[in-house]
This record gives sequence, structure tokens and C-alpha cells, in this order.
Amino acid sequence: MTEYSRMAKGRFTSTGAAQIINLPFKPDYVEMVNVTAATTPAQNGVPFATWDANDGQDTAIANYFNATPVLSSGAVTSGGISTFSAGLLFQFGATYQHTGSTDFSITKASPAVVTTTSAHGLKSGDVVIFQDLYQTSTTGMPQIDGIPFTVTVTSSTQFSIPWNTNQSNYTAFDSSTSTNNVGSFKQVLYPYLYAPGVSIITGITTGTTTTIDTTDAHNFVVGQEVAIRMPTVAGITPAAWGDSRYNSLPNSTIPGSPIYAYVIAVTDYNTVVLNINSTGYTAYNSNIPVANVSGLQYPQIVAVGDVNTGGVQISSGSALYPPPFIRPIGTTTVNTINGPAIQGAFFNNTSQGFIIGSGALTGLASTVLVGAVGNVIRWRAFLHDMTIP
Amino acid sequence: MSITTTGNLGPMILQSLAPSMLYVPTPSMNYITVCDKISMPANGGTTCRFMRPRALTPPTVQLGNSGIDPPAQVPQRDIIDAQMAFFGTGCIINEQVILQDQEGVLAWVSERLAVSMRQAEDLILRDYIVSAASQLNAGGGSNGDNPTNLGITDFSLVATTLDTNNAYKFMSGIEGMDRFGTGPVRSAYFMLSSTELQSDFDSLVSTGSVSFLSQWNYPTNASALPTEYGSVANIRILTSSEAPVARGASNLGNDVYYNTVLGKQAVTHINQDGYSMKLIYRDPYYSGMLAQNATLAVKFSQAQAITQDTAIRNLLSTRLTSLGV
Repeated sequence: MTEYSRMAKGRFTSTGAAQIINLPFKPDYVEMVNVTAATTPAQNGVPFATWDANDGQDTAIANYFNATPVLSSGAVTSGGISTFSAGLLFQFGATYQHTGSTDFSITKASPAVVTTTSAHGLKSGDVVIFQDLYQTSTTGMPQIDGIPFTVTVTSSTQFSIPWNTNQSNYTAFDSSTSTNNVGSFKQVLYPYLYAPGVSIITGITTGTTTTIDTTDAHNFVVGQEVAIRMPTVAGITPAAWGDSRYNSLPNSTIPGSPIYAYVIAVTDYNTVVLNINSTGYTAYNSNIPVANVSGLQYPQIVAVGDVNTGGVQISSGSALYPPPFIRPIGTTTVNTINGPAIQGAFFNNTSQGFIIGSGALTGLASTVLVGAVGNVIRWRAFLHDMTIP
Repeated sequence: MSITTTGNLGPMILQSLAPSMLYVPTPSMNYITVCDKISMPANGGTTCRFMRPRALTPPTVQLGNSGIDPPAQVPQRDIIDAQMAFFGTGCIINEQVILQDQEGVLAWVSERLAVSMRQAEDLILRDYIVSAASQLNAGGGSNGDNPTNLGITDFSLVATTLDTNNAYKFMSGIEGMDRFGTGPVRSAYFMLSSTELQSDFDSLVSTGSVSFLSQWNYPTNASALPTEYGSVANIRILTSSEAPVARGASNLGNDVYYNTVLGKQAVTHINQDGYSMKLIYRDPYYSGMLAQNATLAVKFSQAQAITQDTAIRNLLSTRLTSLGV
């Protein structure tokens, strides 16, 4: 042990999905003990695992119980332990596209469903962007290219995205049959480094209050002040995207004074209710012809302030002064590593640490490194001063 | 006759250090340049709060002769909060390095730490703006992508948007002078762009009265910033190699450039008063029992907020010309 090494330890209860551990450093060595699996030996349990940076990202060496059950050992080569540093925007995952062994398709549906021919490797709450969704030069669904979408995973080869492609100007897409086999998607690795921010609108419900659906997590809270940007698209009937009266451009009542709204309810990660009386406004229309894609502007909702005066509210088991949070999927909230702040404040969500993945040991598909749902996992992480070699 | 050469009488010491260090390629830091700057008061909590009054309704209806006052207005305000965050990095240097190395390692490591801190300030602002400012897709270009490459009309569109939003321009215009090849420069917002787009700016096709004017063709360069590449319409373009680029993120899988166009007070950089920007040197005396290691470190704190959302737009574009590497 030398003077400047870093050590940390902790524990968590497994959800069966990859677990992110935030630390003030990126470890070069991680140990984990699945207390539940070690205490009650059973086939395919993974009680102990280690990872060293020299072994490569996303790997691990692990013990597991065989059928007897007797402790044996093996390696995780994918979905193992990895480190991360979420400090710069625009880090993307691998591109999924047509190859000799991979393809994907997108249905005409609401929400649109993406089916891949091999495991997509995503989990619900991840964000992806698509490119080049031209089935032919004039058909397909390139209208959704470049938009960040939060995925809801339904299986290892299927997920949905919050967009209605079941409209006349959209054609089902399949990279195995598209002209020149174009089309791809990739994960946006750290989509919420700063929040709240700007989101693209995927649906609007008009009424005495206005409900806005977004394509990825809005990260708004009740009391958030927001503005809507509602661009026009020439030659579309009915008009795209929504009523121009949502716009925050100077209004006619007080010239020069922007139109803002307040969030009065947060339904989930991508749905908020605003105090805009939109009764009589034209309906939201995302049925944009493929011919209009070049230079197409998208409707957006953007945080501009808040009217809150207190910090984030506490709940049973939470810290007394909890930090601001993001809400990547559903109503699940994930705390930042910050101290407390006013609700609705602009905050920094950068972080670093390591991830214990949900991969299996080679040749043992029923083993799960991060354990089964409810397993208690202990971990220790190190950053050493000295590594030989 | 024998000739003594360096083959049989070579110099005892074969090397000398050149008298000056080589330069370190460092991107221009444009984002911090265009921000408003304020200090968070010491002992002021975690969150910096801004207040902006809303406009009152102008009384454009006459009172008439009833003698009755019109109803009073209720003043309103908008509130913007930003949370302070802390950052830092450093180096641990063994005293043997300091004692034996010839080139003043503490001096140049200090310099690099200071630059890395300044660069972090700028990158944080850059990424925050990308995530929090609303966007316009360029549509005036000719490459058929979404967004397209930049066209002259895109500059007019974004300038028109900010003008309509009553944003404040940074720069007053530069009057024309009787100098060959120069032209007047309009009062302007700033656009923060990538150096990778400079060849696209040079290729912009004039439309009507609007064209690209290289900074070298300004009547005078007195008010031009060091990173200023030129101007189009009411926009003066600052370029940097660290401007944000989303690689392969366009409709057709091309790189997407975030060209941030903004007016005064659009973004505010907040530092922690009495704390920010410390360069910290700790003598080896403070390390273990043998006092072997010195430390050099920087730390700083900052928050950032878009304080006039109507005065900023990210103009997204792709590139027309291929990029040399």
C-alpha cells in the first residue's frame, strides 16, 4: 500500500441488470462478492469475481458453482466489469447495422418497434440515435434520423422507441432489404451530463392543460419553467408539428415578452403536463413526408428556469439533503453525485467509476456476473500507485 | 598523418536541451470568451439564482373620461437556478525528478495544469450549451442531408430568430473604408464553430446582399478577436478545433457540427467567490515520513446557466467539403 492509492468499498442489491458504481476515480482493480450466492451455494451462482485493467474492459475472472454444487472458475469476456468516465458529450457505442450476420427492422407502429437479428445489448433507459433509415431513396423513415430516443427493451433482440411511425408518410424499414442495405443505430453513452436540457417533442395532448411527450428523458421537475419551440414545415397539411401559439417568440399581448409555461405534473421520464390552455389548438402532426427531411426542423421543449425555492424532497430511506436527480426511464430516479440544490436548477451530472455487467461466464449462459434480482453484492475497488509490469 | 575526428575523440556529453520548450497544441477557448461572468458569494449555499423581470403590458388603451383607473398589473419575474460543481486534478512528482531533471519540471507542469483547468472550464460550458440550448437544423445547404451544410440563408435565419427575440448583439458594426478588397461588417452576434467548417465558410455562395467576409477583409481588424474567421450577415464567426462535433450523427451518417449562435447574456459562467481557480503546490515535506513526493494541483468550481434562452441557438450543420486530415 502506497501513499496515493485509492480504495473504496460498498454494497448494493442486484436488480439483475448492469450496476453502475460512481466513484471519485476510475479503478484499475475490482473485487466483488455475491453474499447471497456465496452463502447459499447453488448451480450457476457466481459468488466471487475480480477484474484487472490489464485484462481489458468488460471482462472478469469469476468463480461459479457447478451442478454438484462445487466451486469452479471461468472467465467473463463480455458484460463483465468495466470503468467509465462520463465527462464529455458525444460518446457513442458501437454502430449496429447490416453486416453478414446482423440486421434490424423498424415497424410501422406507435410506439415503433425495433427488432434486431442479434442481441442489441441495450437496456431500458438507454438512448440511441438512428441514421440513414431510407428503405429506398423516397421511402422509409428518415424522419426520425438523428433524434435521441430512449429505448424500452422488451427482449434481447427487440425494443421500442417513443415515436408514431404508423402514419402514411412512414414505410417499414429493414436493413436487410433497404437499398444498399443502409441504416444503422448506435447508443448515446452519456446523454444526460447536464440537466435539465432540451428535448424533442414526440406528442402533444391539447386541453385545458397541455401534455407533452418527449423522445428521451426531459429531467424536468414540477415547477420547472419551460419554453416550446414549434418550427414550421412548408407545404404540410395539416400543419406540422403543432400550433404556432406554443412558441416562445414574442407574443401579441406584450411584444417582446416570451411565452413560457410551468410544469404542473411529471407523469414519467418523457411526459410532463404544462399549465398551457391549448383548447382549440391544432393537433400535433408528425406525419412528415420523406421529401421534407433535408433541413427538417424538430419541435423542442427546453428548460428556461424554475419557481422552486427548496431542495429535492426526501423520502423514506433517502439522504436528508438529497442531490438533484435524473429520471432516465419510467418514474425511476437516479441521484447525481452532487450536493443538494434547488429543484429545477441546472446541474452537472458528470461522473466516473465502474460498472458490474450482467454478462455470463464463457460456456455457462445461465450464470450472471451481477447476480440475480435481490442478491446482495459487496465490492471493493482500487487504484494502485504501483503496477508491475 | 593522423586526423583526430569525433570518431576517436567524441564529445563527452552528446546532448544539449534546446533553449525553449516546443509549443503544446491547444485549442482556442471560445465558450468562456462569450459568457457573462459572475461570482457566487462566499457562504452563499449551493445554488446561484438569477432573476429577470418580465415585461409589463404597455398601456395602449386610452383611459377615456370616466375617471376610473384601469386595473393594476401584477409584476412577474423569471427565476433561473444553477448548482455549483467542483473540479480538480493534479500531479505527484518525486523529489528525485525535481532534483535531477534539467528542464524545470515544476514550472512546466504548473503551466500545463493551469491550461488544463482553463480548458475544462471551456469544455464544461461547451457541453452544457450543447445539452441545454435549443436547436435549429441547417436547411440552406445543398448536400441533401439533415441537417444540411451551412448555407447563407441559415445565417440569415438564425440572426433573424435572435433579432426577433430581441437579443443583444455583442459587436457594433465596422464602417466601410476606402481600402481595396474590404467591406463593412454588420453589428453582430457571435457564432462559435469548428475549424473543420472553415473551408465551408470560404465556399459559401452569396445570396442577395449577404455574403461571407473573411476577417482579413474587414476594413480594420482592431475589433476582431484572435479566433475570428469572418462574418456573414449579422454573425461573426469564431472557430476552434474543440467546437462540438457529433461524429456520424446526421440523417445520412455524417458529422453534425453544433454552431452556437448567441447574444449578450445568453450564457453565464459562475465561479465560487474566494475559492475558484487555485494552483496548489505542496512541498515533499508534506508527504510521507521521508518527504519524497511533491504535489502540484489545480482545483476550481463553476456553475453555468443559460440566462437568456431566447438569445441562443445551436445551429446544427453537416459539412459540404470533405475534410483533409
